[in-house]
Amino acid sequence: MLLKKGIDMGRVVIDSEKCKGCLLCVDVCPKKILKKSETFNAKGIYTVYADDKNNECIGCALCAKRCPDIAITEVYR
Amino acid sequence: METLVFQKPKSIHKDCKVTFCPGCDHGVAIRIIAEVLDEMNIADKTIVVSSIGCSVFLNDYYNLDIVEAPHGRAMAVATGVKRAKPDKLVFTYQGDGDFASIGLGESMHAISRGEKVTAICINNTNYGMTGGQMAPTTILGQKTTTTVNGRDAEVQGYPIKICEMASTCEGAAFVARCSLDSSKEIENTKRMIRKAFESQLAGQGASVIEILSTCPTNWKLSPQESHERIRKELYPVFPLGIYKEKTSKQV
Ligand SMILES: Cc1ncc(C[n+]2csc(CCOP(=O)(O)OP(=O)(O)O)c2C)c(N)n1
Ligand code: SF4
Ligand code: SF4
Repeated sequence: MLLKKGIDMGRVVIDSEKCKGCLLCVDVCPKKILKKSETFNAKGIYTVYADDKNNECIGCALCAKRCPDIAITEVYR
Repeated sequence: METLVFQKPKSIHKDCKVTFCPGCDHGVAIRIIAEVLDEMNIADKTIVVSSIGCSVFLNDYYNLDIVEAPHGRAMAVATGVKRAKPDKLVFTYQGDGDFASIGLGESMHAISRGEKVTAICINNTNYGMTGGQMAPTTILGQKTTTTVNGRDAEVQGYPIKICEMASTCEGAAFVARCSLDSSKEIENTKRMIRKAFESQLAGQGASVIEILSTCPTNWKLSPQESHERIRKELYPVFPLGIYKEKTSKQV
């Protein structure tokens, strides 16, 4: 599980074990925060993670609404 | 203070693992239906009729009462469920093969009878579960495992258009075709599902929501290319929109 904490910004919770690496969320993120991971999960799938060092996530939840696998389980704003 | 702006819908099992192929739109359809049920606060008065196809394990996802129908018979089963429990919201979740091939008779008769149920039909233009054979909705020229040179009108005939057909039935109250190819269309599909449920609860008649959906595995395209295919190839054959909407006066 990848967590990202921001101050007054958005945050997404990704359940890597449920992610199937389709990358549909990557395409819809307006801030281009979601990235394909270099590591894989128990099923051998290269999942995605939120690379948000600059707290750019706006918590729009477009990624979670696009994900076919409910792998983005929570979005905070 | 952080506010939770998105969470897994309550109508989906807590530890549910979605088992569709990577990038398959079935998963999005299932989630947005659950969101609508949660938003309308009617999960506890809902009975789902699941069908045969890739969505056969619907009971593994939904935290709802579910009856599994034999292949193609979902609308017949839904008729029985609704007549026995008229105060429930009853909807089917079917593939285009289930709804419009083996089940075309059951589907059209239930709609014609104006059964107060909602059919949600996932149109991915092939039989996903069994390996990508031609479905009634396969478009002309489309290659499938049973139309290896592309569907030819002279040999396999023309595709069946579910919404156009359903909207000719007097018993149909709300008929709409939508898509899941973009965030905007996902939102619109959610709205259409809600309208169909509201129409059912108002006792207006049968409702049909046809959802253009991807099958990246059998289309042999990436999830992204599959959405592109929906926009380029399917939109012209299956135009989106509301095909029938009864106002309460017409009931
Ligand atoms: C009576 C009967 N005939 C045929 C089958 C084989 N079968 C299983 S699923 C299916 C079609 C599935 O296609 P569709 O309804 O479009 O759903 P999808 O898998 O694409 O979501 C068929 C023909 C069956 N299970 N039962
Ligand atoms: S859309 Fe979902 S399953 Fe696909 S890569 Fe993103 S988190 Fe993973
Ligand atoms: S076979 Fe097609 S419709 Fe079935 S789960 Fe896979 S991608 Fe989805």
